[in-house]
Amino acid sequence: MSEAAQLQQFEERIARGEKIEPGDWMPEKYRQQLIRMISQHAHSEIVGMLPEGAWITRAPNLRRKMVLLAKVQDEAGHGQYLYHAAETLGISREEMIDALLEGRAKYASVFNYPTLNWADNAIIGWLVDGAAIKNQTMLARCSYGPYSRAMVRICAEESFHMKQGKEMVIQYAQGTPLQRQMVQDALNRWWWPTLMMFGLPDSESYNSPQLIRWGIKTRTNDELRQEFVNELVPELSALDLAVPDPELRYDEESGNWIYGPIDWDEFWQVVKGNGPCNEERLRARRQAHEDGRWVREAMLAYAEKQEAGLVV
Amino acid sequence: MSPLDRLLADKFLALADDELILAHRNSEWTGHAPILEEDIAFANIAQDELGHATLWYGLRAALTGEEPDDLVFFRDAADFTCAQLVELPKGDWALTMMRQFLFDALEMVRLPWYMESQYRPLAEVAAKIRPEEIYHYRHTSAWVKRLGWGTAESQRRMQAALNELWPYTRQLFAPLPGEAALIEAGYLPDLMRLEMDWWAEVEPFLTAASLTIPAFTKAAVISRTAHTPHLADLVADLQAVARLDRQAIW
Amino acid sequence: MSGNSTRDTQWPRFELFQQEQPGKPHVNVGSVHAPDGEMALLNGRDVFVRRPECHNLWAVPARQILARTAMELAADDGWLDVPVPPDAAPQLYRIFQKTTQRRSMNYVTHVGDLEARTAEEALKLAQRRFAAADVFVWWIVPAAAILVSDEDQVESLFRPARDKTYRQPQAYRTLSQMQEIKRTTPT
Repeated sequence: MSEAAQLQQFEERIARGEKIEPGDWMPEKYRQQLIRMISQHAHSEIVGMLPEGAWITRAPNLRRKMVLLAKVQDEAGHGQYLYHAAETLGISREEMIDALLEGRAKYASVFNYPTLNWADNAIIGWLVDGAAIKNQTMLARCSYGPYSRAMVRICAEESFHMKQGKEMVIQYAQGTPLQRQMVQDALNRWWWPTLMMFGLPDSESYNSPQLIRWGIKTRTNDELRQEFVNELVPELSALDLAVPDPELRYDEESGNWIYGPIDWDEFWQVVKGNGPCNEERLRARRQAHEDGRWVREAMLAYAEKQEAGLVV
Repeated sequence: MSPLDRLLADKFLALADDELILAHRNSEWTGHAPILEEDIAFANIAQDELGHATLWYGLRAALTGEEPDDLVFFRDAADFTCAQLVELPKGDWALTMMRQFLFDALEMVRLPWYMESQYRPLAEVAAKIRPEEIYHYRHTSAWVKRLGWGTAESQRRMQAALNELWPYTRQLFAPLPGEAALIEAGYLPDLMRLEMDWWAEVEPFLTAASLTIPAFTKAAVISRTAHTPHLADLVADLQAVARLDRQAIW
Repeated sequence: MSGNSTRDTQWPRFELFQQEQPGKPHVNVGSVHAPDGEMALLNGRDVFVRRPECHNLWAVPARQILARTAMELAADDGWLDVPVPPDAAPQLYRIFQKTTQRRSMNYVTHVGDLEARTAEEALKLAQRRFAAADVFVWWIVPAAAILVSDEDQVESLFRPARDKTYRQPQAYRTLSQMQEIKRTTPT
């Protein structure tokens, strides 16, 4: 079959709602797009463990400590499912990890911001995970089987992440003056980075048309971002929390909460590695990787000895 | 409270404090483990231990009325009654695994005794904990065996870890003040018996893992009211947020 | 970095199969990296059995699996004519299929077993013996390569996950809390 005919058959399968599975023919560009997207998504989960993980030891009661441990554990699990999905496309986990640690790979910029007080965990749960759920729900329909399945599994687990955060925000917004101050401060710092999670405005998102035709993306960045804002604003207001956007206003006609301009300069700075915590995050991951080298080698050495019948 | 209840309350506090502090050290690895699968596995162990701590604090609460969160977040470091073994910093992966193994082996030998306790609530908690500990032991013993034999470096590190931790294990079998009465009442197992069972489990296993058990030394410290310098920092971290506002519900 | 030492890897991959309840078929849930089979089962339990029901786990080194999609088979079936080595003895193969396009978190499902001398021969036989309306993907797994979780360890392997209710979304009453707040908030 000619390349053109294969491409046509491929696009027809997608249009019919069929999943492309490992081993099926796919355009090289599809493969490369997915490797890039999935590995970035995986890296985001792994790096994302750090800002919240740092607060596990300081969680202010036993239940919150347990819940935060479970949440961060889930994030590691999500990274694991996603690396697996990328591996089915022909890239190894070693290659992906090397790319991350050498600063060649991207990951969600939102995790390059610091967590400065306990309430950051609350806001991250409700806002950041809430935003992630929107994106992930869309990706669960993705045409590539392993990515779709990873997303379905992740979506099932992510709901708890959002809810535990929301429960805390509700608690703190109605709590002591210190708690109200903490959660407002956290909201001030995380609102805009969360909106940036949805990506560039549609007008500047050049990848989108092809991603949509290949069933990788089904909604636009602005659509998802607007939906998110419309959901969050009334609820934050009901809790007496101020959204840090002086231009935020309700538009009767569209039913949308119109938000102010996003600082895309900041976005690009952080994406390029100049965010507040980029260096710190990667340094931590490099350290963990280096410290773990002797461990990984030893476990493999034992397996080889076992194969050779030298140990039981 | 009867004298026996008073002694039980002390025992539950010690059991809970051990789990809490160990969970604290284990949770420090989250995001920093040698490989992703172990980040996930170790976070599971930490969650289980926190759950166990909560159960033991709960048994104390039933006797004294003290809230577990108050005990954890508003006691001074000096009033904790954990063993020194669990206070030690997490060290390298070898130290963490070796400590976990020694502690999991202790759980494996004492939980069956606890499940036979004449004090029903204790027997019930032990029955709940046991399946999770069986899994922990399976996990950590698999690691110890592999790291013991793996490479020259892993063996060296595991031996160094064993050498460092071994003197602290004696304290695990030291009775709390008045514990003899609890043993007499059939609430708890005899500690010498427990230590023998633990030794019978641990000694052959570590030897088979190509490690050498260090020479016997008399424990420097027996009392659980004496702590290493590490505990104060640990507790300060643990309580940092909670102590910001005593009135707050988190 | 990993590239420096030829011995520092992320460990080989093992595919994991989960059986929800006795009597139900094993389904492929994903893979883990592990140094050996025992660690693969333990890691598999920690990665995949944190919430769902599970009674039994299988782990198989990924390289032992013959995987073919319907598209691959249609494109070129010349590969199926792999000669069978003369001394090859029949062994048991477990057959897995993906037969639906419905969205799911699981991949192929165990449909049955058969004896064959090679994985390719097993697939040829399976295409007849386990023919179905739409088979999108076939996995052929030698039974001898499967590591099985211990039946007598079901309690310690799988029950603890069910007790961790704080991981369930239902443990959080945010919906009713928000409704109450909105109800009592002047607009």
